[in-house]
Amino acid sequence: MQGASAAPGALQGREIPHASSAAGIAGPSPTLFWYGCNMTRHAEIIRLSERLLRCVGTQAEPVGGPGACCGSPKESEPRISEAMAGRTMDAFAARGAGKVVTWCPSCHMNLEDFMAPVSGAAFTHAHLCEALHEGREALRPLLTRRVEARVLLDAHVGFNDRAEVNRLIPALLRMIPGVEVLEQGYRGPSYMCFGLAGVPGALDAHKARLLAAAREAGADTIVTIFHSCHRELVALERDHGIRVLNWVHLLAEGAGWDWRDDYKDWRNAPDPLAAMGAARVEAAGEEAVRRLALPELTRPR
Amino acid sequence: MGQDQRLVSLSALREAETARMEASCIRCGACFEACPMVPFSAAKDADPVGAVVGVLDLLGGGAGDEASRAWTAACTRSGTCNEACPAGVDPMRMLRLAKWRASETGALPKRDARDAMARAKVFARLAMSEEEQARWL
Repeated sequence: MQGASAAPGALQGREIPHASSAAGIAGPSPTLFWYGCNMTRHAEIIRLSERLLRCVGTQAEPVGGPGACCGSPKESEPRISEAMAGRTMDAFAARGAGKVVTWCPSCHMNLEDFMAPVSGAAFTHAHLCEALHEGREALRPLLTRRVEARVLLDAHVGFNDRAEVNRLIPALLRMIPGVEVLEQGYRGPSYMCFGLAGVPGALDAHKARLLAAAREAGADTIVTIFHSCHRELVALERDHGIRVLNWVHLLAEGAGWDWRDDYKDWRNAPDPLAAMGAARVEAAGEEAVRRLALPELTRPR
Repeated sequence: MGQDQRLVSLSALREAETARMEASCIRCGACFEACPMVPFSAAKDADPVGAVVGVLDLLGGGAGDEASRAWTAACTRSGTCNEACPAGVDPMRMLRLAKWRASETGALPKRDARDAMARAKVFARLAMSEEEQARWL
């Protein structure tokens, strides 16, 4: 990991070019865990990530959702995308962020490629897996629960040049007693499954090759790296009898922490609304749930 | 930092990058040949050099040709093109900027993301506690 020197125990990170000062902001600079806009589906991953960061000595404030978007969802309208990204950078500056720990690879790349060069940034940044790997010796004593799992990572060719997710995440998972991360040469196109979903045939081909790779390697668990991969692959658990977890879930399991993957439960339920429960649906707004969430959860598998 | 305090506008950044790419690309087609998404696109049988020339046309505001539009639309930022490029062009970024430009000129249709943020909000209400929504959003 590149980056400036930091206090012992503090997260190292990359320095962004064109850094500007956070003038007028007093006190210690907070660390933000920037989970992105589409991670709202996976609140348990945000909770667990915050807890894991705390375990390695980084008190990070989660920030994300539509109000902290990198602009990716609107990038076919660059002016809107730029405005969204600029608003996010303004919010980070207003909070006096000293470090930003990223989750979403789209956000991470946009930060490096466009947001920081345009707006300037007074913070360093690192991906979550880099932060946890850097603090892995603090995590090791927590990972005491044995988890029998023969794991195939849903690795992609992209993004790994920005943060070595395909090396660091297996290294973290191998600290869990009982976990065997299997070596298999297949790497999916793109940097996460979301992009593949928009190209006819690409996601189905990736899923077929991933399942074949899992069978060939003798895996009983597919571990996703990113949220969009998790969103696209959880249905494999119901249809193909192979467990699908995110890497953060597996670390939590190794630490013996309670967690529940609501999104997977909803996606794999014969009746997602029933799986959510009437009270939750009512609280979220039933019309909006039916119009916006249900089509995603019941889309072709 | 407000709009008037930006270090540089995104438009200026894009223009500078476009000029750099047009000047540095040697039109060899190595990026096209390395792309794992080509087989999923209508560009799969296209001439690599012609596809690159078409992408440069899109980047400059032109209409490109069918192969270059198909390839640009199918780009998912795998990054294998960057490893293959002998001229340090950063073809992955070149295709991204070409896609942006093509969306603006109408050469490629805009991605329909009308409901993306509303959907993210609904899932937040489903998945997060009220206290988490207050803290995290």
